[in-house]
Amino acid sequence: MADINTQVPVTVLTGYLGAGKTTLLNRILTENHGRKYAVVINEFGELGVDNDLVVDSDEEVFEMNNGCICCTVRGDLIRIVGGLMKRRDKFDGIIIETTGLANPAPVAQTFFVDDTVKAKTRLDAIVTVVDAKHLPARLADSHEAADQIAFADVIVLNKTDLVTPEELDAVEATIRGINRFAIIHRTQRASLPIAQVLDRGAFDLSRILAMHPDFLEGDDDHEHNEDISSMSFEVEKPIDPEKFNAWIGVLLQDKGADLLRTKGILHYANEDRRFAFQAVHMIADGDFIGPVKEGDPKNSRLVFIGRNLNRPQLRRGFEGCAAD
Amino acid sequence: MSQTSRTEFLVTSRGTSRELDAFVVAVRFSRDGRRAGFALGDGTVRLATVGVTSEWISAAAHDGSVLDFAADPTGDGFISAGDDGKLNRVGADGTVSNVGDFGMKWVEHVATHTLDKGKGLIAASAGKVVRLYDQAGQILKELIHPSTVTGLVFDGKGKRIGASHYNGASLWFVAAKTDTPRKLEWKGSHTGIAIHPEGEAVVTAMQENALHGWKLPNGEHMRMSGYPAKTVSLSFTRNGKWMASSGADAMVLWPFFGGGPMGKAPLELAGGDGIICNQVASNPRDEIVAGGFADGLVVVADIGSSRILPVVPPDHGPISALAWSPDGTQLAIGTETGFAAIVDFAKR
Repeated sequence: MADINTQVPVTVLTGYLGAGKTTLLNRILTENHGRKYAVVINEFGELGVDNDLVVDSDEEVFEMNNGCICCTVRGDLIRIVGGLMKRRDKFDGIIIETTGLANPAPVAQTFFVDDTVKAKTRLDAIVTVVDAKHLPARLADSHEAADQIAFADVIVLNKTDLVTPEELDAVEATIRGINRFAIIHRTQRASLPIAQVLDRGAFDLSRILAMHPDFLEGDDDHEHNEDISSMSFEVEKPIDPEKFNAWIGVLLQDKGADLLRTKGILHYANEDRRFAFQAVHMIADGDFIGPVKEGDPKNSRLVFIGRNLNRPQLRRGFEGCAAD
Repeated sequence: MSQTSRTEFLVTSRGTSRELDAFVVAVRFSRDGRRAGFALGDGTVRLATVGVTSEWISAAAHDGSVLDFAADPTGDGFISAGDDGKLNRVGADGTVSNVGDFGMKWVEHVATHTLDKGKGLIAASAGKVVRLYDQAGQILKELIHPSTVTGLVFDGKGKRIGASHYNGASLWFVAAKTDTPRKLEWKGSHTGIAIHPEGEAVVTAMQENALHGWKLPNGEHMRMSGYPAKTVSLSFTRNGKWMASSGADAMVLWPFFGGGPMGKAPLELAGGDGIICNQVASNPRDEIVAGGFADGLVVVADIGSSRILPVVPPDHGPISALAWSPDGTQLAIGTETGFAAIVDFAKR
């Protein structure tokens, strides 16, 4: 099992052309934090990046030969991580900037699929920069913009000075309609403390449990224009791991193409440690994490972000995983 | 193997070793076999003279990490490729000179081949581009691939060069007037390449813990699977009878004779500990193969008798590099944690 202390954190920076991705990246790199980052950029990047260790890469996506049609992986990242690990002691983290039109799934799936990448690095957070003024247009003319929001752990809602307070609230509501679990920061010129972006441990999922259920269980019935939505489910009884694996396995196989991200914290029967589960499309991964604190509730929670989510079906399925 | 006492490991009685404090990316012997070069993740190349216990020379070859390393095809030193975009020549005395510059791109692979009359070839790849140079560093041609090149190898005669990439491999004739490759196609990500010494087959490693092969000249497909981990190291024996591979908890040797490897079981050597074999190196003279494991163990196996000789105990970090000297008497070893050794197998 991979050791979290020696794993290099990886931050993925997505967002449409002109949203402020490179501005945020340069802000991260020039802020005086005493840490060194290896930065992976695409050669068609918008602006220059000011850093010692910049890796210029093509976004090379390929399909895995594992019978799973939606399992696409970034081969270039596998090679780059392998190369960077040979010089491990020289940096504290890796930041991957994707091109504007990139689908975040292959980047995320790379961290599930490749053993070396899994052993040496951990996906810390997917950070999506969106332009408050142009987001509605982007959502209307492409599905990548919605996908980038759906995949995000952190959303930097940038260029807030270009819209009215009402427009800003509306755009934030649109984002929430797609992904109610991401943390949203409103910014101008991508200005925010970098601690809000780096070392979030967002992908380690503990945050899911910390969120207030009422907040999570908003009005799902209110359908937005976007076809992507997000839902969370809770089970108070301990979970039977065999039942859960059987159910989630079939679910991901059948609906994987629609399920962009699935994450959960599970309490198994007769197990003190919690099990952190996550999947991108059909590719799933899980690991035991620390025990529950004394007195904390032992409920299990599962979060889905995707298209065509069937709430009653998902709820029944998850509830059916409770141990007898 | 855990029962073997430390004194039985050959490195104790017949080895020279150093702690180099950086990831050993590759190790190679010079063409004359007199020097071993250890290429490191800190950008240096350490040069050891075989059979001499003097200080090893440190050459600052790259600003970053060395990514690949090969013998100089005509000189007594080496050619190194780095993540600083440089292709450099490292002389036997440690002097560094530039051969090629690839700008921002990592130079991920280098291969060399010695021709007669003092001539030689150097091939290096950065991204989709393979540049072919003569021994003096003059660019002969530039070969463009459909995606990033993940492995680069000359055939036994230096007539062809093979490159692995997404969806297969490309075979180019070095001397061709017009450059169109023989395309060997198979869907998926191919991550390394080897050519049979007699040119009878091309084999690639794949992302899905399997090998793919093409028989030549007909291009018939071969699929070799069952690996628990990715294969990063492929090595044909001298006459091409066997191909050794890493990626399993043993050295896996596929028979390339009697109709093999298809329909034949591979020979598994030095297995049974459940530890993944990281590196293999076939001896250039005899039917023996060296294997390096993830726990640091190095063994040499006689293919005919399956007899195993313990070389390095599992004490110095995962094995990341292995190479035999051209005459097959010296084995050089490097690990991820910077241990480096040369072990003498010459008859005494």
